[in-house]
Amino acid sequence: MKVCYSINGKKKEFEINAGEVLLDVLRRNGYFEVKGNCYMGTCGACTVLIDGLPYTSCTMLAAKVDGSEITTIKGIGTLQNPHPLQKAFVEKGAVQCGFCTPGTILVAYALLKNNPDPTDDDIKKMLDGNLCRCTGYVQQIEAVKLAAKMLKKGDE
Amino acid sequence: MLKLKNVKSCFTPNSIQEAIDMLKKSDGKAALVGGGLDITVFPNPIIEQFIFLNKLGLTYIREDEENIKIGATSTITDIAKAPVMQNYLKGNVKIALAEIASELLRNQITIGGSIARHHFYSDIIPALYALRATIMVSDGELIEGFFVDDFYRNDLKTLMETCIVVGVHLNKYDDSFQFGLKRFVRNATDIALLNMAILAQIEEGVIKDVSISVGSRPGPAYRFEQGEAFLRGEKLTEVLAKDFESFTKSNVDVAKDMRLSKEYRQHLAGIYAKEILLDFIGGVR
Repeated sequence: MKVCYSINGKKKEFEINAGEVLLDVLRRNGYFEVKGNCYMGTCGACTVLIDGLPYTSCTMLAAKVDGSEITTIKGIGTLQNPHPLQKAFVEKGAVQCGFCTPGTILVAYALLKNNPDPTDDDIKKMLDGNLCRCTGYVQQIEAVKLAAKMLKKGDE
Repeated sequence: MLKLKNVKSCFTPNSIQEAIDMLKKSDGKAALVGGGLDITVFPNPIIEQFIFLNKLGLTYIREDEENIKIGATSTITDIAKAPVMQNYLKGNVKIALAEIASELLRNQITIGGSIARHHFYSDIIPALYALRATIMVSDGELIEGFFVDDFYRNDLKTLMETCIVVGVHLNKYDDSFQFGLKRFVRNATDIALLNMAILAQIEEGVIKDVSISVGSRPGPAYRFEQGEAFLRGEKLTEVLAKDFESFTKSNVDVAKDMRLSKEYRQHLAGIYAKEILLDFIGGVR
């Protein structure tokens, strides 16, 4: 069957298997920034935004979100023009192996869209579903707070 | 990793009747999909068709004088963030919902899916028991309401072959009612190993009415009626909370598995019972 998505602002049409999850469709079509790991919604590495909300793409049926707007980490910033969250994660040392980072940043992005001034508790609760085995989370929380400050100053 | 390799087709019906007709014709080989989390995490090789429910108009949270009416395809996030839930039972139902799993999964888990799948680890089912919810079910022509206790006395598998859960109605309660839910999980995305929900009506410091439910993997959630009888008519004090802790430890029926022993769950259930009552005392004060 065919599905049509808008991925990072570009219309894309893919042939999919009816039983496939979104993660597999994205990676098969070159979106390697979406990481695959647990396939159970446990680790959050495969997070994408679907119509602005964060989901684990490993548990989302590709056919179910036909017609949706999908945002991967490459949709919020580029190497030349990174998003404040991407800058803050580097600055605060919140990236080590980098496997969880795309998912974590996308969840943080969704948080800051709705809550530009989050508390530590807000950040912890929001990042609950994104496991990181390198950083110990403290730097991630600091990075989100730094990004919130940068966004307030208009550093977009 | 194609976990659902036998699925050949997807349908998105525009009416409940159309969805049920498809379900009946499928000979047990179709799955209704609300959020789709359950079906991707626990893939069933028998399934050959998906019937997506997202165009049935069942994503809503409304209220009338007596009830809060929640459509089956509303997600936990939808419900927890709905304006009507912010002060419902002093906001404690919203808080309980907002602590289930992670934001990523709450965006996908639907209330209808949770009810229809009746998973033993669900935090939603004990909450619905305690809240004395009414489950709304449609066979395509009529919509019938079942009290949650009665709903789960049905042969759920047979019922769900010809019917769809279309929503849930929550009674509105006045300020004399309090609600609390506690759950034991090892991490945010883990499924609950024990949960307990209590709804109590407290007038002039006395527990006039109460409903309690307990869930413990791998057993289904149930009404803790002995606990209700213990509390009903008693003055809510710290001494009662302590006594109820001991009573619960001795009388609660919990399951066991390799993760947690029965004895440990009984111990935890007692602590949760006490803590919820102490929270209620704080609320009354």
